[in-house]
Amino acid sequence: MKPVLSVEIAGVKFNNPIMTASGCSGYGEELADIYPLSILGALVTKTITPEPREGHPPPRTAETDSGMLNAIGLANVGIERFVSEKIPFLKKQTTKIIVNVGGKTIKEYVELCARLNDQDCIDMIELNLGCPNVSEGGMQFGSDPKMTERVLKEAIAVCSIPIIAKLTPNVTDVRVTARAAEQGGASALSLINTLVGMSVDHETWQSRLTFNRGGLSGPAVKPVALAQVDAVYSAVKIPIIGIGGISNYADVIEFLLVGATAVQIGTALFVEPDAPILIMRELSAYMKRKKISHVTDMIGKIRKF
Amino acid sequence: MIKPVRILSKVLRHRKLEDNYYSLTFGDYKAASKCKPGHFIHLKLPESNLYFRRAMSVASADAEKQELEIIFKAIGRGTKQLAQFKKNDPIDILGPLGNCFTKPAKKETVVIIAGGVGYPPLAYFATELVKSGFPAKQIHFFYGGRTSSEIVDRPRIKKLGVNFHPVTDDGSFGEKGLVTQSVEKFIQANDDLKSKLYACGPEPMLKACDDLGMKYKLPGQLSLEAPMPCGIGVCLGCIVKLRDDGYVRVCKDGPVFEIGEVLL
Repeated sequence: MKPVLSVEIAGVKFNNPIMTASGCSGYGEELADIYPLSILGALVTKTITPEPREGHPPPRTAETDSGMLNAIGLANVGIERFVSEKIPFLKKQTTKIIVNVGGKTIKEYVELCARLNDQDCIDMIELNLGCPNVSEGGMQFGSDPKMTERVLKEAIAVCSIPIIAKLTPNVTDVRVTARAAEQGGASALSLINTLVGMSVDHETWQSRLTFNRGGLSGPAVKPVALAQVDAVYSAVKIPIIGIGGISNYADVIEFLLVGATAVQIGTALFVEPDAPILIMRELSAYMKRKKISHVTDMIGKIRKF
Repeated sequence: MIKPVRILSKVLRHRKLEDNYYSLTFGDYKAASKCKPGHFIHLKLPESNLYFRRAMSVASADAEKQELEIIFKAIGRGTKQLAQFKKNDPIDILGPLGNCFTKPAKKETVVIIAGGVGYPPLAYFATELVKSGFPAKQIHFFYGGRTSSEIVDRPRIKKLGVNFHPVTDDGSFGEKGLVTQSVEKFIQANDDLKSKLYACGPEPMLKACDDLGMKYKLPGQLSLEAPMPCGIGVCLGCIVKLRDDGYVRVCKDGPVFEIGEVLL
């Protein structure tokens, strides 16, 4: 018996629950040099903004214990070059494509979604509602439930592609923004985005990032991510895509158990770009060993005290 | 552009060189035949809370024996761990990565400028040039360090038969001063030659080489270093500013750039 790895979110069928996380696989071209993207459940692009952005000056990443900080600053080619230069490549891929977008205002999010709605290769759109390393506008929506609900409502009005709301962990109670996104009509939630962090060199007294603050990711954040997915799972009815320090098959199972339907691999791709291949193989072996026929049989099945 | 592969290799030889410098040779490295001077590899450290791989330029590669060598100085937490590797230890290598040096024209004089830890890719470059039949006497290998012990691995350069110009800050070996000062004197004394510069070393040295190239209108290439989270071009962490605006990735668009191309 071959274990079934496929999952469905908002009517979109994914071959398996393993996706790349936004900002960790570019627009897919570099990873495609290493393995066929078809092995992924989905490829999630870098955050696309209305205008091209070059991001913050270096240094904009710093290694931390069991993780990293980044303050890239949403460097990307902008929506028009994305459509003309990157979509043709993505169109050729057989994996599902999720485009992550970010704006400064509700209007910008709406325009981005409307522009992407014209493209026929996009399976889902993910709204970046809380990037900790830019200071402007929309990136703070994720901590404001009213704005979260509004941006989703208005984006959905112009876009027939199902929308995922990517939530920030930098809030007092993530369930509040999760419910607001659900109320706004999100088809799914993805969490967590990175945690606000800092790094200082004690010898030189110098901050290690030009932006001073950055987003913490990697294995260091996994316990926080698990707790937030667990909290949100009991607060909403829509599917959850778990993100946060996932590096191996065991991490994937942990996220499924606390309620994720799928997961995104982010920072681990920097160390092991082929991690999804190994994870898939080991996930299948685990399911065989445990006699689990469908990956969805594990969702939310944590045994709590 | 070559496609990187992840290979589990093993340590074949571990040599301590001078001044905390080490040479590690990896065996069973099937991608050795794809390596060219300028390329780097990304090494995973053994179980530790150091999260990133460590980028190391290739110091030599032997396609037939499937071997690859790196030379590094144990200074940081990562390089100190690398220095602890022993013979037969397994090591996870992602590579080869990046672009490579372009060959000089037949009549060009090759002026190599190595500064400290920037030595390995240039040793590889000089070795492969000589192997390909390029006259060793047409290669000038400038090698700068603070003091004599920082001019490591000398037998390799001597064996190549190239013109060796060691330079130390304190004059303990070779000429006294900065390596770029010696290079400038050489350029001035040899203005009849068609020289091409190849440099790798600390950033101030690279900037001085870039300035020299532009001042004397000499072509050349600089190999840059930057902390690299991914090494394959996706994380956008290792960027450097272009002279004509915009950023490029050291790992994917480099590490080798033309003189005058990037803002140092």
